[in-house]
Amino acid sequence: MAAPIRVLTAVPICDGHDSAINTINLEFIRHGIEVVYLGYHRYAQDIVRAAIQEDVRAVGISSYNGGHVEFFAEVVKQLKKCGADDIKVFGGGGGTITHDDQRVMQKRGVDKIFFAGTSLTDMTQWVRDRYGKASKRGAGKSAEMKLARKLTEIEDGYANGKRPKKSAATKTKKSPGTRVIGFTGPGGAGKTTLIDELILRLLHREPKARIAILSHDPSVVGEGALLGDRATMINSQDDRVFMRSMATRGQAGGLSPATEDCLRLLAQSGFDYVIIETVGTGQEAMPFQSKLVDQTVLVMNPDYGARLQLQKIVMLDLADIVVVNKSDQDRARTAASEIERRLEQNNRGQRLLSTVAKRHRDPGVDKLCNLLTQDLAPAAKKGGKK
Amino acid sequence: MSKLGRVVEAVERYNGFVEDEVKRARSDKKFGQLMVDRWNEIKAKIPVGTAPTGLKLPRLALPEIDEAGDITRYLLGDGLPGEFPFLNGAYREMYLEPLSQPPVETGAYEKNGHGGKAKLNGSKNGAKPQVTEEPTRLFSGLMLAEDTNERFHFLGAHQRSKRLSTAFDGPTLYGIDSDAPGILGKIGEGGVAVDTVEDMVRLYDGFDLGSPDFSASMTISGPAPIIMAMYIAAAKRRFGNGIVPKLRGTIQADIFKEVQAQNETIFPVEASLRFLTDMMEFTTREMPRWYPVSISGYHIGEAGSTPVQQAAYTLSNGFAYAEMMAARGLDVNDFGPRLSFFLDCGLDVEYIALTRVSRRIWAIGMRDAFGAGPKAQMFKVHTQTSGRSLVAAEFKNNLTRTAAELMLSYMNGTNSCHSNSADEPFTTPSEEWIRLAAHGQAILLDESGIFKHTMNMLSGSPGMKAVERAVEAAILEEFREIERLGGVMGAVENRYQRSQIQTAAHRYEQQIYNGTRPIIALNKYRNDSEEMPEFELARTPRTKQQLQVDRLKKFKAKNARKAEQALAKLAAVVETDENCFPALLEAAEVCSLGQISDCLQEVVGRFRPMV
Ligand code: B12
Repeated sequence: MAAPIRVLTAVPICDGHDSAINTINLEFIRHGIEVVYLGYHRYAQDIVRAAIQEDVRAVGISSYNGGHVEFFAEVVKQLKKCGADDIKVFGGGGGTITHDDQRVMQKRGVDKIFFAGTSLTDMTQWVRDRYGKASKRGAGKSAEMKLARKLTEIEDGYANGKRPKKSAATKTKKSPGTRVIGFTGPGGAGKTTLIDELILRLLHREPKARIAILSHDPSVVGEGALLGDRATMINSQDDRVFMRSMATRGQAGGLSPATEDCLRLLAQSGFDYVIIETVGTGQEAMPFQSKLVDQTVLVMNPDYGARLQLQKIVMLDLADIVVVNKSDQDRARTAASEIERRLEQNNRGQRLLSTVAKRHRDPGVDKLCNLLTQDLAPAAKKGGKK
Repeated sequence: MSKLGRVVEAVERYNGFVEDEVKRARSDKKFGQLMVDRWNEIKAKIPVGTAPTGLKLPRLALPEIDEAGDITRYLLGDGLPGEFPFLNGAYREMYLEPLSQPPVETGAYEKNGHGGKAKLNGSKNGAKPQVTEEPTRLFSGLMLAEDTNERFHFLGAHQRSKRLSTAFDGPTLYGIDSDAPGILGKIGEGGVAVDTVEDMVRLYDGFDLGSPDFSASMTISGPAPIIMAMYIAAAKRRFGNGIVPKLRGTIQADIFKEVQAQNETIFPVEASLRFLTDMMEFTTREMPRWYPVSISGYHIGEAGSTPVQQAAYTLSNGFAYAEMMAARGLDVNDFGPRLSFFLDCGLDVEYIALTRVSRRIWAIGMRDAFGAGPKAQMFKVHTQTSGRSLVAAEFKNNLTRTAAELMLSYMNGTNSCHSNSADEPFTTPSEEWIRLAAHGQAILLDESGIFKHTMNMLSGSPGMKAVERAVEAAILEEFREIERLGGVMGAVENRYQRSQIQTAAHRYEQQIYNGTRPIIALNKYRNDSEEMPEFELARTPRTKQQLQVDRLKKFKAKNARKAEQALAKLAAVVETDENCFPALLEAAEVCSLGQISDCLQEVVGRFRPMV
């Protein structure tokens, strides 16, 4: 099975017309394409950074509020400047993009414009034909791009069924000073928001720190996926953050078959923090088998159900830190005390925190940030050499 | 239970009450006779008018019923026009031509006009009909403030009443200053650039903001409280402090629909709602002639929702605002009449009755769940024909689509209406097509006799009733689902409305491209040899964009010290529970839009977009 096509889609700055792109995203994923969606009201610079990090084949832009000739051209120009002109740019904007505009845009390097009235099938087919073929691509100009391309190589290797050969790198250890933190928890617990708030604090507290994020969304073998975390992780769209979105491609447990190798690569790439987020999972098992992960954080929703179910959450025994997010909700105090009792019984020095990640400057998230940045206690240390 | 749950109960209870009364009218002779007498009395009082052909017609048409139960169901369940529950109209006569007067030129059914009838009477004190025509609505905004001001004066030249409707450019809609990096090309595109109180002065220069004939409408929501503060600051600069209670107009300010459909939220939802409520509290107390929120379904519909979803989300958003205002200790009879609505009208069959049913649900909900008096029960609505129904393929067909939608809008008794231009899919409408869109309304209202002589053309017809019943039941079902998710706020946090709208939009597009939803000239009777028309696009020259940046920089330099103080004070107030609008008013005097947005975001955070 060939590796799925990956594209990035977005709507330009000062433009909130997202209805078309939402429909197109859905259509693309129905036809096996993996879509990294960056959202609406996005700067060219953010689109380019994301496209390079995600190493997509092409960027699809949906523009309605005018200025499309300049905006598309700016994206093409910036990609080129980064040495990423093999990432193509295409898009549409209904009737607002005229045939004349299109001619100018194509001259400036835009691949294709879809006019009003183009059928969804025709668009999807075009993307599959055009971007589905394997192509020779450079190793990348910048270190960031090289890293992105290596990640693609690993992912595609798994997709093509042949497990990549263990390179020398597989055996080498993490970069010195790199801390790897794993986040897991059920869907709807607010992991993504929590991580993004954490990033905001890390960037602020450590003005030189570089951070990598490996985020996961579910997908079935042979089908596409909507990788939408970037759209909500506004603080993580920063030059000091390298973010990569992965689809699970059929693997259960919240991670992708290629995760371990990708994580290893990231851990060796000199980041101060590497954060890995699983898909919202059932919590029956520990998703992070990797020895690379220094600390694991389980993010819970206060309404996880009756106490009986709590017993089934194996992760409660394995996580280093348990966070009850959305602790402004009714059941939060009960939940926290139930979990606290359980952690006491484990007697492993696990930490429990309550947060309201959606609240600006939430003190609970501050505490979590403290916990994750202080020196690792020996108990919580797992194999990671510091 | 949120108030929405109570609204559902109220409507169910009211429907039950109507049926009980129907039974009573049938079983209790005395009561039945009372209803029949009342019916006959109503009929006897209906004036008769004469059509230009000489045909005599009653000014109010009523169903041909004479049985006590049927009469009761009609009078209580539907209500006469202008009577609870307002199914048949918010006002008694709506668009009827005044009796025994020459037909007057009707003029603008523009946004913010809420007394359909008053407006149709045309000029005050019965002046003779004018020959000049008024454009339907002056939705306008282009380039810089002085350019839009010029356009306002041009459009209003022949108008007695100046009703300006302002469109802002992208950076303004998102609370960003014109000198911010990366947005130069967006300045003045699609609307006017407003950064400071000085721009606001320029924008409405030459208009008497305190005149009873003047009203300003501002289509902006994310940073609405800041823009409102700038408007007040500009008015005070020009006319002194005494102007404030006289200001008339509307600001869109509807945050819920931004989060659900239009995507211009800039602060976290709760903070946005707090700023909005602060502003609404201020205008309710200090500016009794201002409409501080235009609860909008238009954007929900255009984002691709079904008509039922549109009405259900809009109404529930409205009830949520009412709940917030009441929680501030404001009297429902003070703020209720200042709530107004803005709906979309497309071609789906639901639109035959969507506004009618919305009016009914609003009235019952406001009366029975909020204890509102008659004025606060009235659903006052501006309608816009659907832009999304207009397509590029053989675009002149859009005239017909808009005409059909206009017809539906007026059949629903909208208080005012905006008709889209046929070139809608391509660009900001050009004058040629705006003119035709405006004429469409005049043809329906002035030229045709459809709405001039008789109210209630379709009321009580079996088809209308069938659609009304189905639509009402579906709206209540949506309410129940929202209630299950914890009310409007809970549903928003669960992405409920967004995901419903996106699913509906996807289905709509799929239906177009698999041919099950015929769109003429696009998927049916398509003419593949058609050339795409080329329109001239309005573009803001670089020199103008630079001018805006330069004068903003000057403003900032000039006010640097004062701005710092005002922002510090604003930030301090926002940290407390106090109403921050007064501090916003002070800041608006010396700070730019972007400075204020940044300051607020510093305290409350940025909006985290929902996908
Ligand atoms: C829906 C709509 C809205 C909705 C948006 C809801 C939402 N969440 O998306 C609402 C009502 C909120 C809205 C608001 C505004 N709108 Co508007 N809107 C439209 C409308 C009616 C339809 C656009 C649409 O989504 N069509 C459905 C899509 C699926 O079909 P399509 O456009 O034909 O696109 C096809 C192809 O081009 C292709 N395609 C499109 N994008 C992409 C991307 C990729 C990657 C690919 C492969 C293909 C592709 O897919 C489609 C299938 O064939 C257009 C007019 C029109 N009839 O087109 C105006 C229009 C785009 N809006 C306009 C304006 C000005 C605004 C406002 C700025 C008004 C204001 N001042 O307040 C605001 C700004 C909103 C914002 N936040 O930015 C103008 C733009 C003018 C211009 N550029 O010169 C237009 C053209 C209307 C007009 N004539 O004035 N709008």
